[in-house]
Amino acid sequence: MSDLAIASPISSLRRLPGVAIVLVLLIALFGAIAPGFLSAANLSNVLVQSTILTMLALPMTLIIMTEGIDLSMGAVLTLTSLCVAIVSLATQSMLLGLGAAVLVGTVFGLANGWLVAIAKIPPFVATLATLGMAHGLSLIVSDGQSVVGIPHSVRDIYSAKLLGIPVPILMGVASYGVFHGLLYHTRFGTYVFALGGNRDALRYAGLSPTRLLIAVYAIGGMMAGVAGLLMTARMNSGHPTAGLGLEFDAIAAVAVGGTSFERGKGWLLGTLLGVLAVGVLRNGLNLVSLPSSVQVASVGVLVIVAMFLDGLRSRA
Amino acid sequence: MSDIAKDAPPPPWSFLSHNAAQLFYRLLAALLICIVLSIANESFLSLGNILNVLRQASLTFFIASGLTLVVLTAGLDLSVGANVALSACLAGTVIHQTGSPVLGILTGLVAGGTVGLMNGVMVTAMRIPSFIATYGMLWVLNGVTYWYMAGETIHGFPAGFRQIGSGYFLGLPIPVYLLLVFLAIGTLFAQRTVWGQEIYAIGANPVAARLSGIPVSRRLLLVYTVSGTMAGLASIIFLSRLNSAEADIGESLTLPAIAAVLIGGTSLFGGVGTIFGTFVGALILTLVLNGMNLLSINANWQPLVTGIIVIIAVWLDMKTRRGAT
Amino acid sequence: MQHRRSCYLALSLLIASATTQARADGETIAVFTKNQTNPFFQTVRVGADNMAKALNAKILHYIPTKPDSIPEQLSQIEDVVVKKPSAIVFTPVDYKAMVPGVEKINDAKIPVVNITDRSAGGKFVSFIGADDYSLGLETGRFLLKTLGGKGNVVIIEGVKGSLTNVDRVRGFNDALKENPGVKLLASQPGNYQRLQALQVMENLMQSNAQIDGVLAANDAMAVGAIEALDGANRKALVIGINGTKEAVDAIKSGKLLASGDYNGFAQGCLGTMMAIRSLRGEPVITEIVLKPTVITKDNYQPFDLSLEQRSCPSFEDASKLGAK
Repeated sequence: MSDLAIASPISSLRRLPGVAIVLVLLIALFGAIAPGFLSAANLSNVLVQSTILTMLALPMTLIIMTEGIDLSMGAVLTLTSLCVAIVSLATQSMLLGLGAAVLVGTVFGLANGWLVAIAKIPPFVATLATLGMAHGLSLIVSDGQSVVGIPHSVRDIYSAKLLGIPVPILMGVASYGVFHGLLYHTRFGTYVFALGGNRDALRYAGLSPTRLLIAVYAIGGMMAGVAGLLMTARMNSGHPTAGLGLEFDAIAAVAVGGTSFERGKGWLLGTLLGVLAVGVLRNGLNLVSLPSSVQVASVGVLVIVAMFLDGLRSRA
Repeated sequence: MSDIAKDAPPPPWSFLSHNAAQLFYRLLAALLICIVLSIANESFLSLGNILNVLRQASLTFFIASGLTLVVLTAGLDLSVGANVALSACLAGTVIHQTGSPVLGILTGLVAGGTVGLMNGVMVTAMRIPSFIATYGMLWVLNGVTYWYMAGETIHGFPAGFRQIGSGYFLGLPIPVYLLLVFLAIGTLFAQRTVWGQEIYAIGANPVAARLSGIPVSRRLLLVYTVSGTMAGLASIIFLSRLNSAEADIGESLTLPAIAAVLIGGTSLFGGVGTIFGTFVGALILTLVLNGMNLLSINANWQPLVTGIIVIIAVWLDMKTRRGAT
Repeated sequence: MQHRRSCYLALSLLIASATTQARADGETIAVFTKNQTNPFFQTVRVGADNMAKALNAKILHYIPTKPDSIPEQLSQIEDVVVKKPSAIVFTPVDYKAMVPGVEKINDAKIPVVNITDRSAGGKFVSFIGADDYSLGLETGRFLLKTLGGKGNVVIIEGVKGSLTNVDRVRGFNDALKENPGVKLLASQPGNYQRLQALQVMENLMQSNAQIDGVLAANDAMAVGAIEALDGANRKALVIGINGTKEAVDAIKSGKLLASGDYNGFAQGCLGTMMAIRSLRGEPVITEIVLKPTVITKDNYQPFDLSLEQRSCPSFEDASKLGAK
């Protein structure tokens, strides 16, 4: 990042990733035309709304860096959200609910990792199958109904503030901090880079790619569990379809953020920018009240434009 | 997704013998489901139900067969469902406005093909990974369809047009004939033509393919266009079977189509797979649904069962593949 | 570089041109519906637009880009609260999960009218809806009466757990209880989807040689079932619910026996009317549950109009429309 800042204007424009350009443009645009966009309340809205997606997109970045993918994340999030609702309803304890959600999420993550690393099933297929399983289990445990009446301690998490900052934002920032530290300042992070770029080097170094790979997927499941708590808190209920499809949003954010599907090229900050770009776009469009069909298409246009800009940059 | 080199797939032209065992296992799996279902419910094995299953499988197969070619090149097309919806709505409008089913069919095919071509351009000229490019396209198409339809339904088509989806010829549903025709064409194209072989080669090793003089970009454009056109064809079948179109018809079609390709043994890493495998994959998925309806099983179990079947199918695939090489 | 610039230019032009038309005089009413794909919600939106035009107010529509997405509707509420419209007309995508959203609107002191699905919590100026249970009951009764109180029927359900489906299917089942001579062969979900209903019907026809009646929880599924019956050259009496244009056409041509009118148009009209009346300090009706109307071959004419031709009921008529 620092070399970006000191480079000359033209070359830094060249090196700026597409997502950063798009994000800045979107903020400038909506700041100019959308009343109330730049208000503190609204910016806090955008950040709070982006936390659940951030929590999925961060581990998704690691998974994609290992040349993998996790399609089950949205469905697992839905299931863990139901776990929070059901367990906290039964025990009146938010912590037990979170524990159950993290446990179930991690089990699914481990299952994904096992299928990918040991059964050698391609990640796309393995996680497509676990998507079906998590979705099916969500429908079965809830019988297709919302789970309501959960204790207030759960919902308070979403609305509470600490030092004037909403707790979900703090959780999002903390997640980013942990993942940043993990990826850039630990050996584990180095191995994750190697897992994507240079798996043989890992083997020569006497490390087991299998276990690392399982760990990466397990982290994904675990984060889906934590995000499940936020999801349940947000709806003050559990719902059997609430999080379906979020995995694609997460994957799009990761890709738009400059993480490549090949060779362990990952950029965690880019992922965060990608999530924010999607959040800003949706929020801003709601504020200027464009026709809904334009909102739908614009998400696609954002993804394509950001990727196209990135492609130009890498060729330049 | 660059592990291909390490896994060293067999040369694409030898796949017939290579895949024979796997196809056998997959057919065996389909047969097994059939046997279980026929024991559990006597009406399963009736001719009526078999034709019923084939007709239902045809819609998934049309979408999935084009998709198979894309996956053979190590790409993916997430926009097929949205493409079906838009093409169906456009084709429906044209039939209503002009009264000519032929023009409507052409519109559906051309619309589908155009979307496919745009996908191809994004993947080749703009070098956006297919997964992301077609995901973006999905949203763009949905937006256009929502805007165009504005929450309305297009319904009521001429009887002649309806024959395509719901008619019979010599006792067999017409979609079943279409299914057989496209199964044959697809198989011949992929395995007996130079272009087909080049597609396998691109999927197996794009660099080698380029170096050996295969026009990679042009073949990719072709593949995505074919996939889009097949979605257009599916939209016609849909339209004539359901006699109506609305904006959300595509949503539930994409993942089953991808699942059919994968259950059918086509590898996402490219270069391995057959159209016939995809047909069996579509068949297995349809059998599961049919069986659950016949046995009155709670539909809540359906995603779970489908997930388990995908895993078993692919795991068997891996097993037999390792055994074969 | 030129490409990039023209890209941005096009994008900003597009957005700028669209925002200019969002300004108008009078109150601004934000209308929330579940999706852009189901024709029913289009009738709700047209009803709201008509009423707003008559009362000189401005409507803004908020629809999740992913149909029926709970997180997205929650986000839209949060965004709209920033924008502060004069009032909100609200259809929850899920009647339980959206309660925190309603409470946010309440906290922001924006008056809100609940339409279609009754929210499980929150404070509303008024509720306008149809009674799904009695729609299911009445439409079901009509079918069973036409069958002469005997025969074999199947139910095609909507999305499991959705409010509309639970009540409609309960109505169907209660109508069946009144007719012990009718045998229920199967009750399978078609998830409100045409294609799924068609396939479910095709499959059910395989295991049941004689099906005399089909009770579908919405019109799209009813029409899907009719296509399946046609394809197999079999006949059965089919009913649906919602009273969509497509269903009215099918009733006219004799393919569909009846459809229970869910009357989205009136819900959109009256919801908007109550919202504006409360803003202007005029009296409102706090609850209107529309009486169930079964559309049949004998009374379809008033429903055979395009949406633009229909006119909203007046305030005086509104109290007569409701059961309460």
